[in-house]
Amino acid sequence: MPGVEELVNDFFAKLENCKVEGSHATARSTAELLRSVISQQRVPSNIQAEALIEAVKVVGEKLTAANPVELAVGNVVRRVLHIIREEDLLLVTSDLGGLNLSVGSDDKDAAEMDNNHVAAAAASRNLLHRPSLHTLLGNMHNSACQNSFDADKNLRSRKLKHNIIEAVNELIEEIDTCREQIAEQAVEHIHQNEVILTLGRSRTVLEFLTAAKQKKRSFRVFVAEGAPRYQGHVLAKELVQRGVQSTLVTDSAVFAMISQVNMVIVGAHAVMANGGVIAPVGLRMVALAARNYAVPFVVVAGIHKLCPLYPHNPEILLNDMRSPSELAEFGEFSNGMDYGIGSGAPLIHVINPAFDYVPPELVSLFITDIGGHGPSYMYRLIADYYSTDDLV
Amino acid sequence: MWYRSASFILDKQQEERDAVARPESRLLSPTSPISSMAETLQNPNPNPKISAYYQTRAAHHAVVTSDWLAQAQAAVGQHPDDLPPESPSVDSGKPFSVIDEFNNWRKQPDLAEAVAAIRALASVIRSSEATTMMELEIELKKASDSLKSWDTTSISLTAGCDLFMRYVTRTSALEYEDFNSAKSRLIERAEKFGEISYKARKIIAMLSQEFIFDGCTILVHGFSRVVLEVLKTAAENRKLFRVLCTEGRPDRTGLRLSNELAKLDVPVKLLIDSAVAYSMDEVDMVFVGADGVVESGGIINMMGTYQIALVAHSMNKPVYVAAESYKFARLYPLDQKDMAPALRPIDFGVPIPSKVEVETSARDYTPPQYLTLLFTDLGVLTPSVVSDELIQLYL
Repeated sequence: MPGVEELVNDFFAKLENCKVEGSHATARSTAELLRSVISQQRVPSNIQAEALIEAVKVVGEKLTAANPVELAVGNVVRRVLHIIREEDLLLVTSDLGGLNLSVGSDDKDAAEMDNNHVAAAAASRNLLHRPSLHTLLGNMHNSACQNSFDADKNLRSRKLKHNIIEAVNELIEEIDTCREQIAEQAVEHIHQNEVILTLGRSRTVLEFLTAAKQKKRSFRVFVAEGAPRYQGHVLAKELVQRGVQSTLVTDSAVFAMISQVNMVIVGAHAVMANGGVIAPVGLRMVALAARNYAVPFVVVAGIHKLCPLYPHNPEILLNDMRSPSELAEFGEFSNGMDYGIGSGAPLIHVINPAFDYVPPELVSLFITDIGGHGPSYMYRLIADYYSTDDLV
Repeated sequence: MWYRSASFILDKQQEERDAVARPESRLLSPTSPISSMAETLQNPNPNPKISAYYQTRAAHHAVVTSDWLAQAQAAVGQHPDDLPPESPSVDSGKPFSVIDEFNNWRKQPDLAEAVAAIRALASVIRSSEATTMMELEIELKKASDSLKSWDTTSISLTAGCDLFMRYVTRTSALEYEDFNSAKSRLIERAEKFGEISYKARKIIAMLSQEFIFDGCTILVHGFSRVVLEVLKTAAENRKLFRVLCTEGRPDRTGLRLSNELAKLDVPVKLLIDSAVAYSMDEVDMVFVGADGVVESGGIINMMGTYQIALVAHSMNKPVYVAAESYKFARLYPLDQKDMAPALRPIDFGVPIPSKVEVETSARDYTPPQYLTLLFTDLGVLTPSVVSDELIQLYL
């Protein structure tokens, strides 16, 4: 399909060149792209779900390869795959249920249908969720039940695509409204006369604090400037516009100021399966300072940021090394580049990592659009939103 | 818990008096239920105080010295005239014994305990004369109970039996009209379980590959076949890493493990158990297996694991556990002594005066806060997921 191909290549180019900023925008664009892919994909009517899954997987692999650090792309792709599998399963069970009512002929037949239905539903449910002790011995039922499926597949109509597109629309809406939903919980966590510390500028945190202000909570905010991009300056100005008293400090001053702080609230780039956080650089130090002074470290993040992978070397593999020009002008160090030329490499290196990995032990609470959870609860959310088959 | 009481002097005297007065009863496991009395009478565990599980592991994996052998012989042959008289009322015409069967399977060094247990139970089904599911279930329950009581210290054995019994009760709830087909299905499943166990090790090895990076130093403790599989796979994938291997007294299983690793051309360094803290700063991660994974997410493993986990935790090194899912057990130890004692004879090489006590426990419990991740065939899990899994299974 030429239209879809173009869209995919367009988005691929944007991702490669980092033209799409932030996980929110990326997630939204990916979801919209996948919606177009699904709606324009021609599927043979007897293996609809498998064809759709294949198509989405192909696009997904291409997109994740464009920018492996942007985990939101992979998250949304896996969400869509999970949606496809779930809708398929729902249709199957409801179809078989429907059949039961209409074909009431032979008693033996109905009994078989019933058993097949129950066993099939159970088997398919097991397929979706990760393998568990429960299914360890009993997993071999599936092959027997697949055969009874084939006859019924033709009965599943275009309803599948329609349902999937509806569910993807819901997903897009969820991504759009995640900040609002998180902000609604602000009043539960911010009370009177609080002192809050944050670093850099997270739009989710801004909305969170704005909502608390609107509900007439009194609090002050320490904003660490977030070198080298100094987005903290922007956040401080925005907070002042909303009537919140702010104090701007350097990142290095965090340890000095943290004893006066009640709570640290920060945003995240991604949340990993073990509860660890990929956050803007400098936040690991803030987390350690918070741990040292027993200050709760709260991370606000939408569910689209939840990644089902376990980080095995996040400081390097999940880090985005940005251009050193953000740190220093090229002219400043051009003299330094001459040294060591004889051995082939300049003696001075300027490194600008964009992210920090905060281990789960340092995080007190995650506030997501579906409520507040501890880091050890992340695996439950992953089981709800993703299927195991997509975790490779 | 008498073995923890401070009044050990009184207890010792009590023990001596018991030993003199009733020598036969010492050999019988005091907790065996009446129904399996017959079984245990026929196959008394020669030394219920010494854990058969750890004996077997030592036999398979350890360096067997002649001293140890002599000691073991002496321990078994200690009360030759105290073998209980064959109770004439019991019908000992039944030639089949699940415990014999289990021991036969268990002798194979590459076979996991739980698999041996399930195979033994499968042979119970095969040789059973039951005609209904209920009868079969009752027979299986009896056999499973006798297996469990024969060696109360082996967690995989208990977990394997429980898993299989769970499966049997669930299967009988399904629609199998024909008893024989249900029976054959159960046998087929049990045979398949051996394959599952073998595949489990492969899955675990695959999952842990990413966590082993080039140039890393791994500390291992105890001889775990799963951990060996992990390291083997990493070596086959041409990863560059080196292994620090603890000696693992008293079995000295570390020596065997270092042999295996040397065969794979992996650089190995042997440490005595006390040198762990000394070398911990050059270690990147700790890899251990588990004899059992308990409900809290902690593990029960060879003595010394807790110590290593404590040191690793204090130096911020990750501790990874590789365990198959059938080792999950419904235990919740609250402290080190809160488990059935599993004792092993320790050979110090020199004679010890008899008034000196020796701590002979073979295993310890590592609480979940010292563990980073568990690699199982159900996926990579954090310790908090384990209780979730167990609840799902046993609800």
